[in-house]
Amino acid sequence: MNNKAGKDAGLRLDAEIYSGEALELAAFVFSDRAAITLKRGKGVFEVFVKDAAAGFTPGDYLNEALNQQCRLDLAGKNSKAAGMIATRALLSAAGDTKKK
Amino acid sequence: MAQKKAARKTNAAAAVPPQLLWRKEGADFLVTNDFGHYSWLKKKDFDALLACKVGEGHPLFAGLAAKGFVRDRLDFDSLTAKWRKKNSYLNSGPGLHILVLTLKCNHKCLYCQAAAGGSQARDTDMTPATARACVDFAFKSSNPGITIEFQGGEPLLNWSALAAAVKHARSRAETGGRDLKLALVSNFSLMTEEKARFLMEHEVSICTSLDGPADLHNKNRCFSGGNSHAVTLKWLKYFQKKSANQPAGYRVFKPSALLTVSRYSLSRHKEIIDEYVRAGLEDIFIRPLAPIGYASSHWDKIGYEAGDFAAFYLKSLAYILKLNRSGVVVKEKMASMMLDKIINSRDPGYLDARCPCGADFGQIAYNYNGDLYTCDEGRMVGRDGDEVFKVGNVFKDPYRKVMASDAARACVMSSNLEAQPDCVRCVYKPYCGVCPVYNYEVQGSLWGDMASNDRCGLFKGIFGALFAMLKKPGNEALLRKWVEK
Repeated sequence: MNNKAGKDAGLRLDAEIYSGEALELAAFVFSDRAAITLKRGKGVFEVFVKDAAAGFTPGDYLNEALNQQCRLDLAGKNSKAAGMIATRALLSAAGDTKKK
Repeated sequence: MAQKKAARKTNAAAAVPPQLLWRKEGADFLVTNDFGHYSWLKKKDFDALLACKVGEGHPLFAGLAAKGFVRDRLDFDSLTAKWRKKNSYLNSGPGLHILVLTLKCNHKCLYCQAAAGGSQARDTDMTPATARACVDFAFKSSNPGITIEFQGGEPLLNWSALAAAVKHARSRAETGGRDLKLALVSNFSLMTEEKARFLMEHEVSICTSLDGPADLHNKNRCFSGGNSHAVTLKWLKYFQKKSANQPAGYRVFKPSALLTVSRYSLSRHKEIIDEYVRAGLEDIFIRPLAPIGYASSHWDKIGYEAGDFAAFYLKSLAYILKLNRSGVVVKEKMASMMLDKIINSRDPGYLDARCPCGADFGQIAYNYNGDLYTCDEGRMVGRDGDEVFKVGNVFKDPYRKVMASDAARACVMSSNLEAQPDCVRCVYKPYCGVCPVYNYEVQGSLWGDMASNDRCGLFKGIFGALFAMLKKPGNEALLRKWVEK
């Protein structure tokens, strides 16, 4: 990550590490505390933060972006086990426990 | 040549240890697996296990193999049976149905998560007709066992709805052949002999709040109508006496109490536990405060860090065990439930520590107007104007639609530990659970971020304390007695 000095406190994030989906999800988490927008560049994402509430720091956003990316990566590996558990729980609750 | 390659491949696979979870605690390593087994290992043994050097000649081989820690000795029948037993809740629908009979309350507790209105508040009482409709909805659950819990506010402020729901539920259970439990959570301030008799005759179990000695209890639980602590103790004794002298025709349950730990409690663990013992209570449920609802706006005065609670909890457990050694019968409820998972591989019905959590598919909260929520905490978020955890209404929505609602599915997905980056590698995963409502309120998303999540820190502290105690043979024997059934 590189800090880019500027009035919008732009951050440059490596697109090899972060997906646009993770960065957008992280932006949504902070949507009540800052207006965060993304711009896709060559091999990087530029992240712009505006109207940040008191106490908000870009580090908060970066932690959340990493959390979201790890979650998405995990979903790719573990979706079968996670899906079986979730499906079983929901079908049982609905009263539909017969094998199909 | 091909055979040699295959043999090498097979040996290589066998040489990989099975999936295990671990954590370094002091000089030793705690290892667990998805089947719920655990073991403490010295560093040299842990290293040997990871290097696949725990062979048949190793002194720990038999024990580790029996627990599913040796890859080529996995007894799948036994291990999967254990997993199924531990996760049996996946095969049933919501068992806990929380009826919020009124938002009114005559107490003004410092931490009130129920976000109660004053006792004169209007239009926040459940009508008897709505109460009966809520009971009917609860009986649509696919779970063969149903617990209906009456809460508020203070539920005794709406006696007509309480009585209507109790009678209707008993009638439905009788005709429908369902296993029904009824429970009342009350501050006792409006309890009378007549109401107590009705509740006992209909086999309603009674639970109240006791925050410790009089000064602490009354500081936490302000009651303008009198002395909350004195009223609580009076009725605890009353129900204990009735339970000790069981009448013919119906069962009277021992009353129980809940402790909510505020910042004012942190330095007084001995006094609080002594108060429970003096009150004749054999269980103490040490519950942390959560920054949800009303409590969140007063967090700077009454809240604390996860580490503060963990220290309080550890001291409390140590003191309870000391009392046990001197012959006093008392146990901590949360520890008992966690130990039931760890030692017995049983699901104790603790909805806060499940995977996925109990939201909607383990419990439903019924608001006074018939609105349905994933849980009572979700209802409190709705009380603050955000209906993200609302799953329907008893009059408008069919049961199956509620079970398949967006909120229900989102909670099931986000509280699935197999999809949580930190949890999936955590040594406590086989026994733990996350709370989407907490995550949403505190961290802004249903998923949360466990690396900086205080509830996660708090649970890690509790599990750390329990496993540290289980490591000592003297403590282990006492703790095993807590969950003997």
